[in-house]
Amino acid sequence: MEDKSYQLIIDYFEKTISDDGLTQLQEWIEVSPDNLAQFSETIQILEASKSYFKQAEHPEKMWAKINAHISQQESPKRVPVQKRRWLAYAAACFLVCTSGWLIYKSLNNKPALTAEYEVISNADGKHTKFLLPDSSTVYLGGGSKLKYTKNFTGKTRAVYLDGEAFFDVVHQAKPFTVKSGQITTVVLGTSFNVKAYAAENKVAVTVKTGKVGVMADVHGEPQVVKYLLPNEQISINTVSGLYTFNTTDARAVNSWINNDFIFYDTSLKEIAASMEHYYGVQIEFTEPDLGKVRLTAKFKNVSLKQAMENLSALSGLAYTQKGAHVFISNNNQKGGKIMK
Amino acid sequence: MYPALTDEALMSLLKQNDHLALETLFSRHYKSLCQFCTVYTRDYTVAEEIIANLFMKLWDNRHDALILNVKSYLFASAKNLSLNHIQKKKAPVDFMEDLEMGQDVIHDRDTPFKILSGRESYNGILTVIDTLPASQRQVLLMSRIDNLDKQEISRILGISVRTVETTLYQSIKKLRLLLKGHHNSAFGS
Repeated sequence: MEDKSYQLIIDYFEKTISDDGLTQLQEWIEVSPDNLAQFSETIQILEASKSYFKQAEHPEKMWAKINAHISQQESPKRVPVQKRRWLAYAAACFLVCTSGWLIYKSLNNKPALTAEYEVISNADGKHTKFLLPDSSTVYLGGGSKLKYTKNFTGKTRAVYLDGEAFFDVVHQAKPFTVKSGQITTVVLGTSFNVKAYAAENKVAVTVKTGKVGVMADVHGEPQVVKYLLPNEQISINTVSGLYTFNTTDARAVNSWINNDFIFYDTSLKEIAASMEHYYGVQIEFTEPDLGKVRLTAKFKNVSLKQAMENLSALSGLAYTQKGAHVFISNNNQKGGKIMK
Repeated sequence: MYPALTDEALMSLLKQNDHLALETLFSRHYKSLCQFCTVYTRDYTVAEEIIANLFMKLWDNRHDALILNVKSYLFASAKNLSLNHIQKKKAPVDFMEDLEMGQDVIHDRDTPFKILSGRESYNGILTVIDTLPASQRQVLLMSRIDNLDKQEISRILGISVRTVETTLYQSIKKLRLLLKGHHNSAFGS
């Protein structure tokens, strides 16, 4: 009997438990606090055992060694003719490009080209806080990159953003601009959140304090799209040019800087994208429609697992985690992917 | 690569000198093999080296090898290579380290059963796992490896599937006892 209870707990942990099994397990737990203790202790032991293997892996590095070993054994082959021809074309292209660039550079002697840039980038799963040359504070999100001239020389205090950042800008006469693709956000001194992952084709600007101007490059000319006040937000689709304007809770939008997430009626697809950048994992839906579910959820400084459990409970969907890869599927399914 | 082919189909291709078949086998089994080795070597980097050597050997012997079940072959070889490695390494010093680990458990004031996640908070439990009798420790850890089921564990360790199950339960029971043993407070209540 005792063995059976352990088997049920293990099945539950491995997510292979049947409906009947789950009912039996719940009933057994309710019988006595000793059973509950056995359940939670066993789960923690299983989790600890699993964490025994949490190591960085270097398959590419190891494969490179194996490949080298294989190649050593084989006799050197003559480079096939096609390959040689390709090398010639590549070399020719390179020469053309380089000379073209040199000509362009000599004709366009803009000092800006020789300015020194500082680039800060975060991989998915990491977010950082730092100061800009004018003492403005930036919180840079996961999977994001920020570039700016070293001493903010130039007519404006210009930064270039691909990703998400929250800015708390010091008031100065020189305007502070955030350029993300064709969209530029201009302020004098204020705090606001810009979410502009180039790969997501969307720029969203949310104002916390002060006033912000959002401009777009239209036929090479900057034009004002909208001025935003606190708790106002604009969200632009950079492919179609369509945008939406609404009021929102600005604190909720930049709560990520404090490791909190607040989503109001947001599609699971968007939530998953935020989680990817924050936790540094890849989240995929086994069916695209599953991402359309809209949820309202709050996470305060939780682990990925906790977040996925919550989302799973709220959405009625299931998730499967394999290392840094999470699959979201229907409730009675597990997800996975064939490696290509 | 050839994701749709079985291990055995890949072996036939391997005998025809197909690199890609080796690469497919490698990426398919690399992670679980490394984790499996780590159970023996307790050092992940060493495990990776052992597995790399294993695949090099597999390539070298591709024509001679008469392998019926590829996965069993890979894990059995990994086990042998790991044990060889440990034999070479084994020195009196290692025994001392094992003893000291046991004593740390007694002095540990923190309750290992904290309701937290993350490797740091599992250190208490992990330390005690390494002091379990070898067979219990092996079964407990190997059963956590993805793509390694009870049948395979029974084959690799040379015990019946039923023994794998009972050893697993015993390891959990023993751990619960050890982790409770030196602390007055109940955990988590």
